[in-house]
Amino acid sequence: MSRLKKTIFTLSAALIFLAVFVFDVVRTTAGQEFGWWQYLREGSVFVAFLLLFLFVHASRTSRPLAVPKNIGRLLAYSFAIVVLMASLMFISRAPADAGGMNQTAQGALQILTSSIVVVSLGLFSISALLTIRELVLYKRKRGTKRNFIAYVAVMLAANGTTLFLLPGDGRIVVTILFSLAVILAVVNSFKQNWVVYLSRREKLFSIAYSALLFLTFLTINLLLGQSAPEQALMRYHLPLQSFIQLNAIFGVIYFGMAFVSALFHLPTAEVYERKQSELTSLHNLSRLVTQVFDFSDLVNTVTSMTLEVVGATSAWLELVKGRREDGAVLVEVVSPKNISLQQIEGIAVDSDLSLRKLIADSKRALSIEDVSADKRTKHIKKLGVPVGSLLSVPLVSHDELIGILHATKDFEYGFDQDDIDVMTTFADHVTIAIENSRLISESLERERFQQEIMVAQRMQKRLLPQRIPSYASLDIAAVSEPSLEVGGDYYDFVALDPQRLGIVVGDVSGKGVSAAFYMAEVKGIFQSLSKICASPRELILRANQALMDSLERNAFVSLLYAVVDLHRSRLSLARAGHCPMIYISGERSDFIRPTGLGLGLTFDDIFDESTQETTISLKRGDVCLFYTDGINEARNPDGEEFGFDRLLQVAVNSRSESAENIINAILQEVRNHTGGFSYGDDVTLVVVKMQ
Amino acid sequence: MADFKVHQRDGEGVSVIDLKGYLDAHTAPDLENAFQRLLNDRKFNIIVNCRELSYISSAGLGVFMAFIEDVRKNKGDIKLTNMSAKVYNVFDLLGFPILYEIFKEEQEAIKRFSEQKKS
Repeated sequence: MSRLKKTIFTLSAALIFLAVFVFDVVRTTAGQEFGWWQYLREGSVFVAFLLLFLFVHASRTSRPLAVPKNIGRLLAYSFAIVVLMASLMFISRAPADAGGMNQTAQGALQILTSSIVVVSLGLFSISALLTIRELVLYKRKRGTKRNFIAYVAVMLAANGTTLFLLPGDGRIVVTILFSLAVILAVVNSFKQNWVVYLSRREKLFSIAYSALLFLTFLTINLLLGQSAPEQALMRYHLPLQSFIQLNAIFGVIYFGMAFVSALFHLPTAEVYERKQSELTSLHNLSRLVTQVFDFSDLVNTVTSMTLEVVGATSAWLELVKGRREDGAVLVEVVSPKNISLQQIEGIAVDSDLSLRKLIADSKRALSIEDVSADKRTKHIKKLGVPVGSLLSVPLVSHDELIGILHATKDFEYGFDQDDIDVMTTFADHVTIAIENSRLISESLERERFQQEIMVAQRMQKRLLPQRIPSYASLDIAAVSEPSLEVGGDYYDFVALDPQRLGIVVGDVSGKGVSAAFYMAEVKGIFQSLSKICASPRELILRANQALMDSLERNAFVSLLYAVVDLHRSRLSLARAGHCPMIYISGERSDFIRPTGLGLGLTFDDIFDESTQETTISLKRGDVCLFYTDGINEARNPDGEEFGFDRLLQVAVNSRSESAENIINAILQEVRNHTGGFSYGDDVTLVVVKMQ
Repeated sequence: MADFKVHQRDGEGVSVIDLKGYLDAHTAPDLENAFQRLLNDRKFNIIVNCRELSYISSAGLGVFMAFIEDVRKNKGDIKLTNMSAKVYNVFDLLGFPILYEIFKEEQEAIKRFSEQKKS
């Protein structure tokens, strides 16, 4: 209802009351009846109260207050009414001519005071009825509202009949309706649901308020029977008297019952409050389930909520890491609250009676009611930790124990069945939250890993030569195709001088990021050593020394290093465990395979001793083919390798082609062999042809 | 992915590891565990029988390199036997025969161990 409407309602009501007051004064002074004007007056009074009712109703619903506050307000009103009624009685008892005023003025004053009291009483009754209505309908059931409406209907009927039925035989109808209204008031007074949902503090207030309201309503009832108020009401508006009286009786009955009800519910207040907080906590947790991006935040909230949910003194969470062969449960203690890690280890002693073991075996909640009496936890007493009772619940996901949630209280028998149930439910939520958190972090990790791989792939690409050096009498081609992720294949050229070209092909063991790093290191070593080493053998020996400190024990690098000397028309070659070079000259073809160990296999003298260097002379049309094991190990669907023989055959067959076409021919043949499958490993080919 | 199996049996003064199938980056940890167990049990005379080993990758070769130092430090050795030509070629390319004793038959390796013990 708008403010304007409310103002109009109150103003109209006030005007009507003023008119009625003037009418009353005139009537009293004139001392005669006014015929049908009389009926108009009664009607106006009714309309005025109706307007007041609408106003009060609208004001209430627009300002919803807590139940005890509403009762408190009603109590304040009732006090004011009692005071008003008492003062009315006091005034009416005072000597009529005390002030020495003339009779008209005195009469008017008396009418004014009684009018004010009557209107206030009416207003109060409306307010009381609405307050009681609110309480009765709280958490209503089917029929609750019907009963209340029945009361209001009968009450209004009883009020109405007082106006139309004359004393005598008609009185009986009024009495019956009146009694029926009282009976319905009693029926409605049984609806005290609101009491149940109050906190302990609110219940205490409600007890006091309803007791006082009971008393004030009783007083109002008594005062209504006194001559002065009764006269004033009867003279003002008969139905109003009945209305006020019935509602005052309703008030007495209702608040009497409310007092008793609140008193009886007081002992259960604490239980109710706890249930309420459990519900709130569980509700919070289900919200928490979605906030799983920070694992440490999550477990922190879990233990602090454990404290709340069961009112524990201390709490901690153990994440299961695995089990030892003897059955002991390995855990990581996270986010302990009000207890130290040392104390926790003392409590979860590693024995046959270990709490962790008991829970891991049973996968059920374990409640130790009296820690110092229970044989499983007797040792705790000696620790000096204030633990009286202990509750441990397992976190089970897919039939597997992923953690244990512990809570303690510093007194015995601290956890009842409700606590165990709540903790079990709570543990289920925690399990889901932890699982979700792990899944998220796993997928984040996977993403990060993929990012790393991409970086490594880019790096690997940049480590390979961006262009091939050009020598007038050399036709050079190279290709390197990494497998799915990052491989360890490496090739490089170094233009030593206008007549000499260094060629390296290698394979770093392992794949992925580590292979890319080793490759970077090998490139650095190769690029710097090739400038200062006189021979390929020397480069390989020094490269092995250089790698000594950085290679892991199970990692190695195979390498083939050749230097083409155009001036002398020869090629010198050293091999560190790599696939032999294919050399084709006219009708002759061969695997050139000087002995040599893979870099990193050993750093003893034996490495130097066994590394040899070979020199071959070159002439026009000679083809040198360098490759990695991705070529000869390429498999067909039956698992058969491409092999060295096939490789040699293709190379020989295509020897008259350009370097690039030789490579293409080999790749085509390998693809034919694998049947379009991926090579499985990196493949690298370098062809150097004399022209 | 083809299967890989590691089986261990103990002879007189020697422990034999039988390898079967594909030894690559995925299956290398199985062999690592087998070696680690032997080292934990202080069994340092080890023969790796490769009769049924059909493929070995660089990661597989790395496993031998990871353990040989510790084994030899304890006066033991890892000897390899019964390799197929194809598998031998992989070991050979990298220069393993220079660092490891490789025999055609397991019996020869056992004999070699007992000779070494006497000397």
